[in-house]
Amino acid sequence: MMQLFQFIIIIMIGLAGGLAVGSGMVAFITVLDIIPRLSQLIKGYQYITWFQRALMIGAVSFTWFDFRGTVFHLPSFLTVIIGSFAGIFVGMLAGALTEVLNVLPILAKRLNMAHVIIILLMAMVFGKIAGSLFHWLIYIPN
Amino acid sequence: MSQDAVYLRLRNRYFVNPNSKVLLGEIAQIIAPEQHEKALKRLFIYQINKEDEHLVVIDSMHIIKKLTEHFPQLHIESIGSPQIIVEIIPSSTKKKPHAIAVAFVWIILFVGSGLAIMNFHHDVSMEEVHKRIYYLITGIHKKDPLILQIPYSLGIGLGMILFFNHVFKKKINEEPSPLEVEMFLYQQNLDQYVVLNENEQNRKKKQ
Repeated sequence: MMQLFQFIIIIMIGLAGGLAVGSGMVAFITVLDIIPRLSQLIKGYQYITWFQRALMIGAVSFTWFDFRGTVFHLPSFLTVIIGSFAGIFVGMLAGALTEVLNVLPILAKRLNMAHVIIILLMAMVFGKIAGSLFHWLIYIPN
Repeated sequence: MSQDAVYLRLRNRYFVNPNSKVLLGEIAQIIAPEQHEKALKRLFIYQINKEDEHLVVIDSMHIIKKLTEHFPQLHIESIGSPQIIVEIIPSSTKKKPHAIAVAFVWIILFVGSGLAIMNFHHDVSMEEVHKRIYYLITGIHKKDPLILQIPYSLGIGLGMILFFNHVFKKKINEEPSPLEVEMFLYQQNLDQYVVLNENEQNRKKKQ
């Protein structure tokens, strides 16, 4: 009896935690407008429900593989593909966050730099690439 | 009555040099009976003086008052926005910022975003996650899965470019990018603030 009670409590806690984290993640991605942005780029608004499903299936399946420790034993060059896609997603997150914080419009207006805004955007892009490469190649090994 | 109607539509924004005169034809689109049109367009509205520092908000009430003084026989219909922001541009600020200033901002953004991404990676234990992904895919424990991490780093740059819709100056498609929309919204918010605040001050001065 006691065991059954514990069992139910643990299921409840797990489910509640998952609900909170899952809805939090969806809210975060929604606020940052990443799915609408990608649909706009490829002019594919009609596939927007599929993109939402992709997000959900990705989150659930990766959680499962991670927790269960499912090992695929695939050749290592496949991680190049995974790494690239993960990087693109993080890059979009970073871009969206910068945009939410209004950094570039304020710079353009305050410092009178509207005409060089693309150059400044490229500064951030190259800064991110350089920072990330520095992190993995120099910072971590030493 | 309808023959003497004047339709008035204020523009959004107008740029002038300091100490110049603002005429009606410059700040508004006008439809009026032909015999009055030229006189209306040359109607003097406002003299820019030194106290108006950067901006003056001209209210349509002020314009209608002037119009009824000079053309009492006309019936005025004001359509569109109820006020116009006149921006005063001194000849000194017209020039572009110095290349050194641009370079300075460039370096701030470059170093800052690099630092920010490193902080982010530490914050979310990206190193552990990368090792874990590498292990789950290949079944090999590796201390530095660079084959995953270098494409990941390049991907970050690509993702930002995709988000902002720019490959240097070339656009990927015709729609405005989020940055352009954001610049527009920021300007609109500033304008709204200016219209509400400056306008009230103007009224106080006149009383």
